[in-house]
Amino acid sequence: MKIVAVIPAYNEEQRIRNSAEDAGRFVDTVVVVDDCSKDKTGEVALTAGAHVLRHEINRGQGAALQTGTDYAVQNLEADIIVHFDADGQMQGADIPKMIEPILNSEVDIVLGSRFLGAESNMPLSRRLTLWLALLFTRLVSGIKISDTHNGFRALSKYSAQNIKISLDRMAHASEILDLIKLKNLKFVERPVMIKYTADTLAKGQSFMSGFIVLKDFIKSKFID
Amino acid sequence: MIFQFSLIIFAIFAIIRTYKQYRLQRVSASWLTSWLLLWLAVILVAISPQSTDILAKYVGVERGADLLVYSAVVILYYGLYRMMVKQEKLQQELTSLVRKLAIMEAKKIEAKKDR
Ligand SMILES: Nc1nc2c(ncn2[C@@H]2O[C@H](COP(=O)(O)OP(=O)(O)OP(=O)(O)O)[C@@H](O)[C@H]2O)c(=O)[nH]1
Ligand SMILES: [Mg+2]
Repeated sequence: MKIVAVIPAYNEEQRIRNSAEDAGRFVDTVVVVDDCSKDKTGEVALTAGAHVLRHEINRGQGAALQTGTDYAVQNLEADIIVHFDADGQMQGADIPKMIEPILNSEVDIVLGSRFLGAESNMPLSRRLTLWLALLFTRLVSGIKISDTHNGFRALSKYSAQNIKISLDRMAHASEILDLIKLKNLKFVERPVMIKYTADTLAKGQSFMSGFIVLKDFIKSKFID
Repeated sequence: MIFQFSLIIFAIFAIIRTYKQYRLQRVSASWLTSWLLLWLAVILVAISPQSTDILAKYVGVERGADLLVYSAVVILYYGLYRMMVKQEKLQQELTSLVRKLAIMEAKKIEAKKDR
């Protein structure tokens, strides 16, 4: 079984070494997708031992994940693909329990959740946005899940071949849930620890970006 | 008065342009007729704005000028929608191009690492 971690990264030269190495301890290969960063993200990732894919034009997190996943399946013959963040909020140590249900052939895809046990120090405003997202997803996609917008995922090769992300920016998380439902993929959630620090909050998503996600998602329903 | 006058001038100009294109065989005869009809209609409306009221009453709008504005808004919105679709498609094509390049380059880098 070949396990490959895919890390989308945009201007993460300060944090990519740690996150790539952290993930690297629990997978066979790390793939970093440098999404046209303005800093040295790509170079740093290379010296951290990752395979580096560079987008010549910034295409967004969803597009970067799809690029890395394509590469993992087609060129590295990955059996399991783990989606992991570059900002150091996720713990590599969570990877083994994320991939376990796939190793046991129980499910096709495992989704990380911030709301199953493991207490995270998430700020209240973020909690509120996510709660709204949860409600929206339950209504629109009809999928019952505790955390809709968690970037931590483990995909079997089969689900990677069935989930093609077409929403390039942040709305891809909603799209993946739609596809899980549509393609009848078996999924399970696993608790993961996501750490919020002043640094990740400063660079992370704002409350407004929730609306952009919503706009992109709704737009996609009107255009083919 | 000035508005009507310039509209007529513009329409005549457009008809002459289209006719020249037709003579040069750049546009088909059916294209020429449809454009001709359109611009003749514009001239008619410019000369006698009240003439549109007949059509307006027929579809249930008070004044012809209002009908014109309503239709313009609808047509513009439709154009906007079409542009959005086209733009979305372009974005997706751009992404797949960028993706292909990224994977190609990575393969090269990895081949070099192995040596
Ligand atoms: N490829 C790509 N990755 C991005 C882009 N923006 C952010 N990322 C990466 O996506 C990951 C998560 O980004 P964040 O902005 O922290 O988003 P988040 O984790 O969903 O939100 P927070 O809860 O605020 O941390 C990190 O690895 C970023 O480097 C982008 O434009 N392109
Ligand atoms: Mg983050």
